[in-house]
Amino acid sequence: MVRAGTSPARGRPASAPMWLFLLVPPAVTSLCAVAAVLASPATARTPVAWCGAAAVAAVAVTAAAAVRRAPRTGEAVRRSAEREAALCRRLAEQETETARLAADLLPAAVERLQQGAGVEEVLDRVEHTPGTDPGLRDIHQAVLRSVLEAVRAEEDLRESAHRAFVNIARRVQAIVHRQALDLREMEDRHGNDPEVFGDLLRLDHGNALVGRLADSIAVLGGSHPGRQWRQPVPLYNVLRGAMSRIRDYQRVDLHSVAEVGVVGPAVEPLIHALAELLDNATRYSPPQTRVHLTATEVQTGVAVEIEDAGIGLSDEARRRVEDTLARGHAGGIDLDDLGETPRLGLAVVARLARSNRFRVALRSSAYGGVRCVLVVPREHLTATPAPGGAVARAAVLPPRRLRTRPVPTQPQDEDTGRGGATGPEVARAAGHPGSGRTGPGGERGPGGPGVPGGGTPAVAGRSPGALPQRRRRAPAFRARPAAGAPGPARTAGTAPGPAGAPPATPAEQVAPGLRLAAFHSGINGETPAPRAGEPAPGRKGTAP
Amino acid sequence: MTRPVPGWREGAPERLYVLAGRPAPPSGGAAALDLVTLIVARAAPQAAGRPEQAAALRLCHHPLSVAEISAHLELPVSTVSVLLADLLADGRAEARAPVPAAELPDTELLEAVVHGLRNL
Repeated sequence: MVRAGTSPARGRPASAPMWLFLLVPPAVTSLCAVAAVLASPATARTPVAWCGAAAVAAVAVTAAAAVRRAPRTGEAVRRSAEREAALCRRLAEQETETARLAADLLPAAVERLQQGAGVEEVLDRVEHTPGTDPGLRDIHQAVLRSVLEAVRAEEDLRESAHRAFVNIARRVQAIVHRQALDLREMEDRHGNDPEVFGDLLRLDHGNALVGRLADSIAVLGGSHPGRQWRQPVPLYNVLRGAMSRIRDYQRVDLHSVAEVGVVGPAVEPLIHALAELLDNATRYSPPQTRVHLTATEVQTGVAVEIEDAGIGLSDEARRRVEDTLARGHAGGIDLDDLGETPRLGLAVVARLARSNRFRVALRSSAYGGVRCVLVVPREHLTATPAPGGAVARAAVLPPRRLRTRPVPTQPQDEDTGRGGATGPEVARAAGHPGSGRTGPGGERGPGGPGVPGGGTPAVAGRSPGALPQRRRRAPAFRARPAAGAPGPARTAGTAPGPAGAPPATPAEQVAPGLRLAAFHSGINGETPAPRAGEPAPGRKGTAP
Repeated sequence: MTRPVPGWREGAPERLYVLAGRPAPPSGGAAALDLVTLIVARAAPQAAGRPEQAAALRLCHHPLSVAEISAHLELPVSTVSVLLADLLADGRAEARAPVPAAELPDTELLEAVVHGLRNL
């Protein structure tokens, strides 16, 4: 640019004294020739004069030619300056375009590629500056293409690595799940043997830890953790599920828990995220301290708080943790970012929080440790399917029976005369399985009205927890030896109605051989109560 | 007795060791609680405690054997023993010796009677 401006300025002063260029050199040459002729001796004067003339003529011709060509040289200089300027301009444009390629086009294209667009599609959508040299545009396209293809290859590689991770994790999960089911069966089977049971629990615990690791790998591989739940699960069980998956579950104190349920799809992510947070809390606090776990309802959902009494977080550590969580929110966490000693926990939590819209915050605890709050949004919550937890729900059936009980319980202590009135009710309740305590009531029912009040306390004293079989056998035996000595007062309690009323009348009709048979069957406990009641008085009558 | 319930597996993500609160029942406590030991609640179930213990207390309003509690809660006996041992230690429940099989008359007496009958 600068040189282009100066070259015409040099050409212009040359054109003005053009004639001087034409005259001065021949004149000077001729003067020199004259001087040479005068200085030379007379004999050489003629040849010197000829030489001088020839020199003057040559200089004159050269000067004339130079002067005649001078304008054409200036033109050439100007043209070359213009071309230089154009080339510089084009170079500048290309520089700008290349800089734009590096700064804008390439990152945008790579981003679009990472969002899932194909290489060709991305290339088509690249916008070049209008008026760019087509050759340059082609070259830029080629550069873009090779870069995008390299990026795509890298992405494919990473994706396949993730898929491999997830695949392996899924296999481990399947084994762990299978094993958990087996262990649960074994725990049921060996529930009576404390030693075997304890060993099974230890195995079960280790199995759960392996399962959590597999879940973590699956989550970091970009997949969902573990199993899917179809039904809502009470939050209480979710929290205990999270406790089951950490090493030091015994140090976790489960306090008040909001009575809500968690919808099926959010159960496993929540369990897993809480397990990781609980694991952090127990891992980074002294082993003798407790970790407190509570869940309270808040405006936006349910806040699960995990509070430990550890050393707490330094500012730098908290920044790092929050950075991890924030990157998880932005989706920037990678298996490759985890470093040599992988801190899986928070990365997993961050990922789960992002995909399930949990909000996680770490603060200082009043105990000096860390208080971690995870807020489950309301969209993941529902009414709890089983207040108090799903395991305790199994115990709902017996309480329902208990609610029908109070009617029989009062007469049991005071007066059995109302036993007949409660008979049908108890009989209805007896339809439940395992009705160990309703059995006696039903048995007593029919005979109730005829029983004198004084006879029953002997029965009621033993009745509450006893099994029906035991009670049936007991009266059958007691009826026999009691019949001999003290009279019907004791037998009335056990062999109720008929025992009191007809003591001796049918007794004589019993064949003698039957007595011993009845006696033996009585010893063996085979005699059912009604039959024991009827023949018993007959034999009783004959015995004395 | 402790039949596996599909609903338990589908519906509860926790494992048994968390229910009991400790890994293995202590052998002393488990020995004290026989299958037929009767448990009676001495306190009302508290909302704050473990739901399984609360359920056990509700069940034991009247004396109930450990085996029956285990069946009702659908939990293995050892787990129930641990839960009940805690209740017993807190004084919220009371253990009673199992009901004697029956108040059988002495076998000597029976033998004497049989002997006497044969001698008739």
